Amino acid sequence: MIAGLSRKHLFFVLVVIAALAAFPYFGGDFRMNQLGLFLCFVMLALSLDLIWGFTGILSLGNAVYFGGGAYFVAMSLKLKYAATNPARYGSGIPDFMEWNGLTEVPVWMRPLESIWFAAPAGVLAMGLLAFVFGFITFKRHIYGVYCAVITLAESVIFEELIIEFQAYTGGFNGITDYGSFSSNTTFYWIILAVTVFFFWLARKITTSHFGMILQSIRENELRSEFFGFEVANYKIFVFTVAAMMSAVAGGLYAALNGIISHQEIGPLLSIEGVIWVAVGGRGTLIGSFVGPILIKGAESLLSEQFAWMWGLFVGLMFIVIVVFMPDGIVGTLLRRARRRRALAEGRAPAYEPAVVQAEETPTV
Amino acid sequence: MAQAIFTQFLTGFSIVAILLIISLGLAVIFGVMRVINMAHGDFIMIGAYVAFVLQGFLGLNLFWGIPAAFLVVGAIGLVVEWGLIRRLYGRPLETLLATWGVSVVLQQGIRLIFGPELRYVRAPLILDGGIHVPGSNLPFAYFRLFIIILALALLFITYWLLYRTDFGMSVRAVNQNRPMAEVLGIDTRRVDGLVFAFGSGLAGVAGTILAPIKTVSPIMGFSYAVDSYMVIVLGGVGRLLGTVAGAAVIGEAETVLAFLYNNVIGKLLVFTVIVLVIRVFPQGLFTLQRR
Repeated sequence: MIAGLSRKHLFFVLVVIAALAAFPYFGGDFRMNQLGLFLCFVMLALSLDLIWGFTGILSLGNAVYFGGGAYFVAMSLKLKYAATNPARYGSGIPDFMEWNGLTEVPVWMRPLESIWFAAPAGVLAMGLLAFVFGFITFKRHIYGVYCAVITLAESVIFEELIIEFQAYTGGFNGITDYGSFSSNTTFYWIILAVTVFFFWLARKITTSHFGMILQSIRENELRSEFFGFEVANYKIFVFTVAAMMSAVAGGLYAALNGIISHQEIGPLLSIEGVIWVAVGGRGTLIGSFVGPILIKGAESLLSEQFAWMWGLFVGLMFIVIVVFMPDGIVGTLLRRARRRRALAEGRAPAYEPAVVQAEETPTV
Repeated sequence: MAQAIFTQFLTGFSIVAILLIISLGLAVIFGVMRVINMAHGDFIMIGAYVAFVLQGFLGLNLFWGIPAAFLVVGAIGLVVEWGLIRRLYGRPLETLLATWGVSVVLQQGIRLIFGPELRYVRAPLILDGGIHVPGSNLPFAYFRLFIIILALALLFITYWLLYRTDFGMSVRAVNQNRPMAEVLGIDTRRVDGLVFAFGSGLAGVAGTILAPIKTVSPIMGFSYAVDSYMVIVLGGVGRLLGTVAGAAVIGEAETVLAFLYNNVIGKLLVFTVIVLVIRVFPQGLFTLQRR
């Protein structure tokens, strides 16, 4: 069967995809745009699930790659928009460049005018960044909380860089007004198609032998290494792939949203992504759909009336999920279902640790 | 130019001092519990609000804020440890995430109570003015001198607690080998709780002395917390020397580089250097334990 799904599960997945594809016909433009953005978050969550849920690398900086991809695309669209509507800002360069005293687009930024160059370049650049970062940290056995705080710092610094170099990035205001693809049904379908492709890719990776090795790294890094696997290489590879997935998601997000700012590259989105995966259920992939759509959906419904309470609610919910439901929503449901099936068939339920978590390797 | 750089270098000492107080708390907690407290920055923030409340509502000066913040934030730390972290024992990454939830709750809570606007706290009047240091083109503020002395005092107290008391001996024992310490009859839970409260209290003190330098707001602590995580990464754990060295390198480098280029470039350079350093010394510059 496709990507290791049983017939029943495949049917379920196809129904969900069909429902999502038909959504523009009954959801209306506003909800369709919203769902499109949520799907971009789903892709970010999928990439986080690959590295955290399956490999056990907690990265608190993956918004760097999401935001990086987004900035490449937004910049490209903005340059194009400014060049084709010279009357709008006076001199055919983006408004924020003009405000900061630039008279023309810097030479090194020129190639970005073509979206066909900018979008792939963004994805490759983020892949390269992740590769270099992974090479430095994973090769030296930097893992666990160390990895988390270093990636967090990375994210903080990228956000500050974006704010600082406002002549080239739009600074605090971000890049706005570049003509987006919102309310475009075809573009929504493109996003959906990419999401489905990423889901398939993530399934493919995690159900393969390669995926088994990733999970063994998550369970016990030291032991996997003793078995002869070059753990660092596996981690670098999956980290790079996840970064490129995030970059694609970010690019689509920028094109759909029509505005991009430093928040999309900073620690807030990075950690929010981790929350989505934790709430949905890490290591399940399906949880990466449930988490962002549930949380972002609830946020857009509730935070308009209860903006004050929303932050408090998210924080408390997160604490409760981490402490009492470490498998997340989907993970808990799956475990219960498996247990029930085993009991119904008269078998003892398989031993499953409630928490799948890379432990600190004991001090040597 | 050299004079200006020297001035920055001197100013850097007060930044180092603040970073040292923050990182001391974090390092002691991390050493014993192997836990990174993501709410550490918000403990700093609460310390600053304690100073604000004492000054704004009770008219007490900043000196009162220091013990008050230590007690208030220490108590909050005790509650967080008892209610949350203890339940997640042996799951360092999840503790990190749960404390991030605490961070969100604390920020929102403060915002609900005090509103989102910036608050200001005055330094004590006695500490107005400064002394002239030869070779520097600006007087060195008494308040900054006070911060440095306070940091040294807290460093000494921490050292004394860890190396000269029975309690410190059990802390170090838990740090080196938790199961063994437990076997030998050390109440590790009590050690955990007290260490966490002490480390949180230090963050509170840092917040109080930061209050007159920075504006007080619900999000003021985050960037300091991130810097102190880097101190841990650079300095390693298990020895106070590592924390001191880490704080000194990061605080000074950021201050001087921020002056020479700008704030962000300074941070970027420091971060790059840290990443390269841990490539060579993965366990940090000074450490007893392998990572």
